[in-house]
Amino acid sequence: MFEVLFIGLSLTSVLLLIALGLSITYGAMGVINMAHGELVMIGAYTAVLAGIHLGFNIFLSLPLAFVVAALVGLLIERVVIRRLYGRIIDTLLATWGVAIILQQLIRLEFGLTFFGISIEGLGPGLQNMRVPTFMMEPFDLMGLSIQPYRTFILCVTILLTALTWYLVYRTAIGVQVRAIMRNPQMAAACGIDVRRVSALTFAYGSGLAGVAGVLLAGFRTVMPDMGATVVVDGFLVVVVGGVGSLLGTILSSALLGQINGIVSVFSNDIIARAVVFGVVIAIILWRPRGLFSFKSR
Amino acid sequence: MLVLRNVNSFYGRSQALHDLNFDAPEGQIVAILGRNGVGKTTLLRTIIGLTDRTEGRIDLSGVEIGSMPTFARARAGIAYVPQGRMIIPDFSIRENILMGGFAASGQRRIPEIVAELFPYLMENLERPGGVLSGGQQQQLAIARALACDPKILLMDEPTEGIQPNIVHQIEDCIIRLNTELGLTILLVEQNVDFAKRAASTFAMIENGTTVSAGKIEDLTDEIVSRHMAI
Repeated sequence: MFEVLFIGLSLTSVLLLIALGLSITYGAMGVINMAHGELVMIGAYTAVLAGIHLGFNIFLSLPLAFVVAALVGLLIERVVIRRLYGRIIDTLLATWGVAIILQQLIRLEFGLTFFGISIEGLGPGLQNMRVPTFMMEPFDLMGLSIQPYRTFILCVTILLTALTWYLVYRTAIGVQVRAIMRNPQMAAACGIDVRRVSALTFAYGSGLAGVAGVLLAGFRTVMPDMGATVVVDGFLVVVVGGVGSLLGTILSSALLGQINGIVSVFSNDIIARAVVFGVVIAIILWRPRGLFSFKSR
Repeated sequence: MLVLRNVNSFYGRSQALHDLNFDAPEGQIVAILGRNGVGKTTLLRTIIGLTDRTEGRIDLSGVEIGSMPTFARARAGIAYVPQGRMIIPDFSIRENILMGGFAASGQRRIPEIVAELFPYLMENLERPGGVLSGGQQQQLAIARALACDPKILLMDEPTEGIQPNIVHQIEDCIIRLNTELGLTILLVEQNVDFAKRAASTFAMIENGTTVSAGKIEDLTDEIVSRHMAI
């Protein structure tokens, strides 16, 4: 049972990183970023490519994937989203288009296949990220079998969640992000450069997605459409937790991740997914703004 | 100090201000008067840059600010106390006040005048803004604006919806800000008696344009009756 909970916890961790980015960007900018899953995918491919071509291990790949995904996120914000603020359906459709473009770019190896050039690690096939052997061999701790890689995922997630909490609640940039989440017009009237802060927020959320991609690549096959499925789970977490609520995102990812893990052990993945959706529907019927939405007087 | 020339302002395709001209001399309180829905709030939102589109010229101390984004206008010295206060309920009182500090040129800090004017806020800095009464929230909104280190303060019906015993405190505070700090204040107000007590000049707005303006002594009952009676 412990092993089951532990596996569930590591999956929850990845889900949390994905959802944190989504929650921050949706909360601060009102943008439903359908390309968020592709930023996860870009993080995974960054790790695969850096492993093959630069000899990077997972420890070096993590910061690299953060930077690459953050830069791609910044580019998406500058080129597409910035022109569509306040038009939620338009941003949803536009970012969906961006998601498809990003997938196709990876499949077509950035168009180089048309010139007969192939880059190892890209293309429509399946890829794998190399995880150091010592991270894959379980060890015993007080009679329990612990998987080092899953523990590593947990540690990275705790570290990044703590860093995010610190940035959001203990820094000047965090005050600006939270002010924009609550009232962007008043934030601007108080001298906050809403566009600049929103762009940085979007880049940070994208970077988190990139890190989640690297962690996911350690136990899942890397492929161009790998982000499409995880982003749905990310949105479920955000909706249940309450948009823009860090605590809500953390608790909701734990709740949904564990429900999924436990039910799938006692039945199967399909029933587990159905149960998760059932719980999500029940929660949004009970609390339409999520479990931890903002309260006002 | 603040000069508007031939200003048109729009919400989407709807035009709210029409060829409006307006002057706010330095160090004075200017009362902006008029019936509901004539464009008084839009005038303030146009000055701070919160309408969808603006045409014409807006100068602050000789600098054209009409093409600047809202945050740059705030940093140029315009602070806004909006109708309904718009404090952030789950921010602490300290965070709400310091939000204004992003517009100030120096370090973010709570100005001394805030402690002097609103001792209750200073004694409860860690309480959430949302638990305050309407009057205290108004004080908080004014404190936030003062943290912007403003040259000019835009105040939109600061006494609206506030219990009567607090109204006088807010009114006195506005007059003190003008007389002691020399702040220029644009005061949107429905209470003509208070406007006459506080302001030096007035501008009467109707259908999105200035129909009458001058010294407050020239604000006759006839003008009030013609432009403000329902």
